[in-house]
Amino acid sequence: MKTARPIYEDDNHKWLAIVRDPDRPDYLIDTNEYLVVSNDDAILLDPGGSEVFPAVFSAISTVFDPRRINKVFASHQDPDIISSLSMWLEFNPQVKCYISWLWQSFIPHFGGQGETFIPIPDNGMDIVVGGLRLQAIPAHYLHSSGNFHLYDAKAKILFSGDVGAALLPPGEDGLFVEDFDRHIRHAEAFHRRWMGSDKAKRDWCARVSALEIDMICPQHGSIYRGADVKRFIDWFSRLDVGILKS
Amino acid sequence: MSGHMDISRNPGEAGQELRRIVRINEEIKSVVATAFKINLMAMNAIFLAKRAGQSALGFGVLSNELRRFATDLQQQMTVLRETTYGSVSTVTAQVKQSRVTRLLEKTRSDARGEGRAGIDRLLRSRHEAALTDSSDKISALNRRLSQMIADTTQLVELGSVLARSAKIEAAYGGGFSASLMQVSSDFEDTIGEIQRSLESLTRHQSEEFRA
Ligand SMILES: [Fe+2]
Ligand SMILES: [Fe+2]
Repeated sequence: MKTARPIYEDDNHKWLAIVRDPDRPDYLIDTNEYLVVSNDDAILLDPGGSEVFPAVFSAISTVFDPRRINKVFASHQDPDIISSLSMWLEFNPQVKCYISWLWQSFIPHFGGQGETFIPIPDNGMDIVVGGLRLQAIPAHYLHSSGNFHLYDAKAKILFSGDVGAALLPPGEDGLFVEDFDRHIRHAEAFHRRWMGSDKAKRDWCARVSALEIDMICPQHGSIYRGADVKRFIDWFSRLDVGILKS
Repeated sequence: MSGHMDISRNPGEAGQELRRIVRINEEIKSVVATAFKINLMAMNAIFLAKRAGQSALGFGVLSNELRRFATDLQQQMTVLRETTYGSVSTVTAQVKQSRVTRLLEKTRSDARGEGRAGIDRLLRSRHEAALTDSSDKISALNRRLSQMIADTTQLVELGSVLARSAKIEAAYGGGFSASLMQVSSDFEDTIGEIQRSLESLTRHQSEEFRA
């Protein structure tokens, strides 16, 4: 089973990171899921693949009543992001899924019907959760052609999907980045190969540099906090992406 | 225990089963929190008994027992939670199986000739093996869960006897009698809370067999 770890808490406003599953088979990529709770409402960010549904669901259940989750946010269309949607809908048929308009008619192959989806327009939108305003920030072509990150201005947290992702060896897979230089070696090949557009990358760096960010939370690997946030953005802006050989 | 769950035949039942597991889990959480409280209360009671000295020896022994009870209860709850995790995994697997079955059945009705015969054979063997297997698995897990809840109920019954005995011992506590009495009533109330949680746990658990 995975573990649900609080990364931000202010009264009825919380962020939980659902991470690291010791029972996960090697052939499945490790993922992080995040739950943002505000008052009586909660949204699950990148709910994960159907294979990890039991681990994610059970980890959340240890600290939070999953019946209160009625929204999910999918940064993009990948199976490790959203193929568990059918299970979440089994559990609660009222769940709404926020995803780029581009994928609206693709995701029903994983589960859900027309009314399940709330399409996000290319320039992003606000998503209100229990009175808290979250912003879907465009991150197209990083790596998916219809791609969004989610920014919480109050918590100063940016959920960054596959951007910032690292494939960490056992023993170096802490919740937070501790040694940036050491950590980023495990992110480099991934970003070079998966991130398709240099222009999109520069746009993204400019866009997020203007935001106040205490933590960047990726869907794989460790969380960047404090000075490592700017370090990551600088590193990414200098990286050559969209190339086949590293 | 006849209500055999068969998610593959009854759509919507997986969701029902998951919601039932969540209700059980919410009760487990409240029992864990209360067990933690009893642990702290017992530690205080042990100190109090030490201060009261000779006249509270019996009370001290019981406080130690109550502390052990709280630790046992916490452990029992951990195992219970692991079992519910097993149930979520099994339900998830069964939903996947039923999705494949649904698609295969649709394929059978559309397909012709050799293809259709192949699908037919596949559906038959799947039906015999996997599906019965996984609903058996859910029933087995549920039986285990019921047994564990029954064991826990017994354990808590023991806790409640300990609390009552502590109350009797408190009467012999001399100058400390009043405060010992207060502590043992607190024990009784808190264990009462656990008993109520366990009653709802038992109720949620038995919902499965009504279907
Ligand atoms: Fe992806
Ligand atoms: Fe990913």
